[in-house]
Amino acid sequence: MENTIQILLLTALSLGAVMALQQLGGLSDAPGVTAPQAAPFIGGAAPGTHAWQRFHVRYYTMTLLFVAFEMEMMFMYPWAVVFVEEGIKALVEMGMFLAILTIGIIYGWREGIFAWE
Amino acid sequence: MGMSWARAFAASGPPPVFAAIGAGGLQRAEELHGTLRLQRSPRQAAILLVLGEIAPDLLPFLQRLHDHLPHPRATIWHRATPPGDWTDPVQATADGLERTLTDLWRSILSGDRASEPDFLPDKPPNEWRGVGPHGQGGKGMMGGTPYGRPMAMTDDDLRDGLSLDAYSAPFGPFLPMLPPGLILDLTLQGDVIQSATATRPPCPQPGSDDRPGDAIARLMRVMDMPALALRRTRDGLPPAMGIAMLRRAIPDGLGRARDGTDVRDRLDRWRDKDAPQADDGTRLSDLLPGLEWHEAMIVLNSFQPDRIRAICARSGPEGGDEDDKDGNRDAPAHAPPDHGGHQHHDMTGPAA
Repeated sequence: MENTIQILLLTALSLGAVMALQQLGGLSDAPGVTAPQAAPFIGGAAPGTHAWQRFHVRYYTMTLLFVAFEMEMMFMYPWAVVFVEEGIKALVEMGMFLAILTIGIIYGWREGIFAWE
Repeated sequence: MGMSWARAFAASGPPPVFAAIGAGGLQRAEELHGTLRLQRSPRQAAILLVLGEIAPDLLPFLQRLHDHLPHPRATIWHRATPPGDWTDPVQATADGLERTLTDLWRSILSGDRASEPDFLPDKPPNEWRGVGPHGQGGKGMMGGTPYGRPMAMTDDDLRDGLSLDAYSAPFGPFLPMLPPGLILDLTLQGDVIQSATATRPPCPQPGSDDRPGDAIARLMRVMDMPALALRRTRDGLPPAMGIAMLRRAIPDGLGRARDGTDVRDRLDRWRDKDAPQADDGTRLSDLLPGLEWHEAMIVLNSFQPDRIRAICARSGPEGGDEDDKDGNRDAPAHAPPDHGGHQHHDMTGPAA
């Protein structure tokens, strides 16, 4: 119960601070932002199209490789701790895990991750 | 009013200035970099400094730029004639510029001089218009023309022909890193330039070509070395160590013109104070496609004002097609054979 009250108080405090700041901004005598001021600055010209666009994330293959090896490491540290106790069961589990990650690496190979440019 | 102490504090500092450079203003702008707080964007400026004569066709661009400045704002005309319909223009003489600037900055902060109103009407350039009968809706990324402007459409990428959205926009004429007056129509995929045409060549800058120190300083500023760009040794150039650093920071072979010189070669010529190179028929289509934005800005700033003016003058929208037909041009190695695409080039001009 005490925690709930604390959370509610904190929420009220932060909301109040935000609203107070917004009111403070309204006190300024500067005029608001007009449509020509809100336009993007590209040197005085007006943009012909909207800037919302899709472009290619070209580093995605490198990301794939990074995630594959990073996940391997994340699992291997705790696995190394319990390996002696668990024995063959842990070895099989690690084999399955590595097999799954290897599929990702093989896929990356096909996509040309290792063809350095 | 509670703002007065803040305004007084602001007034005690140097005025933030954005320089819109016209014909013959480039050399003066270079001198002013040492004394004024020149901003890279009008959003950070309070005073618009018009340096050099503004051609009549650039006035609408100047007005749009003027409206970008936040209030309170003012305009100063220096070595420039204000147009007749500009209300209450402030003009500054050669030696009185700093004084005029500071006085104007104080007076707009104290409210003695009213902030200049917008030139453009306070509404979007075009109305919102969706596809529905009541102007609502669209089709995802490709749908409709919201506020009269089309969405980016797909086009083949230069590098591998992937069809993603190409972005086209006119850049300039008052973008600080571009030669003043140049309106550059670029089509970009992400950061990579697919095509470049100059819809308007840069303004003439008489007397700037025999000032290699200024040219090196401009290149340094593009490379984000502003402190070195301010320093000059006795021979009028930035320090030799700085030039060597700049040279190493520029990739080898970048921006090769038709005469075989790259950015480093042109920098060497400036450093050795050789005569400006003769024009060799280079076009923007030889230089820019395939480069990223920052590389393109280095390349554009590696030519003297007269030479980049000549390059841009023959890189207009109609000049480019003719050039592709004559066939004796070395095509960029990474250009795909058929870069036609489904691009709406007619939509890329400045909106009226």
